Amino acid sequence: MAELAEQEYDVVVVGAGFGGPVAAKKCADAGLKTLMLERGQSVGDKVISGLTIPIYGFLFGPSFIRDGNPPIERPVDGIRNYVIHDIDTGDIDIIELRIPEPISPIFAFGYNTYCKPFCEWEAEKAVESGAELRTSTTAIDVIKEDGFIRGVITDREEKIRSKIVINCEGSQGLLAIRTGVRERYPPEVISLADTYDYEIRKEDVDRIFGHTLRFCWGFDEQRIAPPLGHGNGLMVWPYRNSIHWMQDQCLRMDDGKAPNLRRLFDEYHENITTRLPWWSNEVAPHIKLRAKMFEGFEIFVGLDDRLRNMPNHTDGMILAGDAAGLESTVLCDGVPCAWFSADIAADVAIEAIKAKNTSATFLKIYDRRIKAHPIIKWATTCTARWNLRKAQESHDRSELRARVHYGFGFGLLTHASTPLVKSSFNSMKKDPTITIKWLKMFLRYYYNWEHERFGQEELPRQPRGRGLFGLALVFLDSLSRLLSPLTRAMVIVLTPLTGAANPLVKVLGPLIEPLIEAIKRMAPLFKSLLTMMISSIIRANPAIYDV
Amino acid sequence: MTDKARMSNRYPGVEWIGEAGVFIHVDVEKCTGCGDCLKVCLADCFEIENKKAKIKTLDECMECASCWYICPQEAIYFSWPQGGTGYRSDWG
Repeated sequence: MAELAEQEYDVVVVGAGFGGPVAAKKCADAGLKTLMLERGQSVGDKVISGLTIPIYGFLFGPSFIRDGNPPIERPVDGIRNYVIHDIDTGDIDIIELRIPEPISPIFAFGYNTYCKPFCEWEAEKAVESGAELRTSTTAIDVIKEDGFIRGVITDREEKIRSKIVINCEGSQGLLAIRTGVRERYPPEVISLADTYDYEIRKEDVDRIFGHTLRFCWGFDEQRIAPPLGHGNGLMVWPYRNSIHWMQDQCLRMDDGKAPNLRRLFDEYHENITTRLPWWSNEVAPHIKLRAKMFEGFEIFVGLDDRLRNMPNHTDGMILAGDAAGLESTVLCDGVPCAWFSADIAADVAIEAIKAKNTSATFLKIYDRRIKAHPIIKWATTCTARWNLRKAQESHDRSELRARVHYGFGFGLLTHASTPLVKSSFNSMKKDPTITIKWLKMFLRYYYNWEHERFGQEELPRQPRGRGLFGLALVFLDSLSRLLSPLTRAMVIVLTPLTGAANPLVKVLGPLIEPLIEAIKRMAPLFKSLLTMMISSIIRANPAIYDV
Repeated sequence: MTDKARMSNRYPGVEWIGEAGVFIHVDVEKCTGCGDCLKVCLADCFEIENKKAKIKTLDECMECASCWYICPQEAIYFSWPQGGTGYRSDWG
């Protein structure tokens, strides 16, 4: 190879998906000369998913996302599971995990979004902070000197030197494999997602789906979703004026064989779209196919001890997000863990550069912080989806119901509550006023969704005043500041008890679940209250939601 | 959408830009012709010729790397196409 053009940075971030810009922004904010490389012609070109970013990503993730105006397609209130016993007779059980109105849709379970605009918004924020973005550029190798990674080599014949590399290249991890840090995942942990995007009028999405995701599950002979336990079922995401439909399937089955995915996916898609009553009667007449895509993701990496413990750092390089195997096993969301890990990776990179020590020994603190993160730990090790195969083996209807309930119904809270409470407490310890920031986030996101106001922080403020609602927020803001020491003390006292959250939900479940159902049934009573709340939120001056 | 992009009837809403070249290779010495790559590839990239897998076309490839993961002989080499080429979509 001819002499390569050499350039020098403090930090090179590989990949501008969901994680990369988080790391790049934080490094740039710390005054480091930061370069972000993206192999697509523009940011988000290559990112495919059906995407709900669960609320824990926003609550415990990077503050610029929580306090900003990212583009969202629809707030989500939860999941409605269809457990299909006989598609032809309509013998279908419904199991729900849904925040009841009037709490939802203002206080959301998560937010649906298209990948591209969200990644673009994040990358813009990184660039505004001073990071440099270079698209159409693939990092194909690293610069290695004395065993240390000292930068990357691109397919544009550039040699880019850096003090540290933050690798957010995604699940295939070619660079990490090339450098000998990690190895290729076995096909049983990889799922291939077959994804359709349909246009549909917003009124139809509102009427048919509201704010609820729809998942379908069934035994193999129903031929309506990939075989249980070898990936997932079928998921439908309501967006603003479109819906995303996705089925996915692991690349290798328990018997060691590769499924014929081309044949299976077409068969399942045909069956579900022609035989499932709510799809064929309610949805099908209103939709128009806009896009069909596929993408692989590493859903079950965290369930294998050896894979989970593959290095996430080496001398001069830290891996974050999917590149570090941090896809969630249950809700198959990769975004929150990508945000958390990229945020931690940036902290560690900043500390390492300051200490002039980017050795693996120093970077071990990254691994420790990743492993200590309650949500990352839960999301990457929960076996609820993997164990659906036991229902498949037993072929028992009540077993299937129980497992869907445990993984995607109210049972989710019997294993997610402790990590959620722990993360809340960790956040409140660092910033006792964070609850007001969370409240403002929910209100701002709802306002933005109603007004399609995204990424517009720079727009001039509306001249009108703050109103009563705004004054109430100012009051709560002051109160939270005043009570900060008390909040912190309370959190410190209660922290040892966080482990009790899961068992408590388990014990109280039989009481809470019927209560939620009762509240759901009373939704018509709350309708005027909800309308009033929404009207106040969306008519207010959005400046009152600023942090 | 970009100039000179290729589209596909099977995958609407996706376009392929630039000259991606051949970024997946099959090692015929290692390949046993089991056909697993054909089964998992949703873009019909492979065919079997003389009991060996062979790249037929990468025209609809979305760079998922399933062929590379599944190959029991590790006979498939996967790399990214040149930066700025390959598939892209606004609807992912």
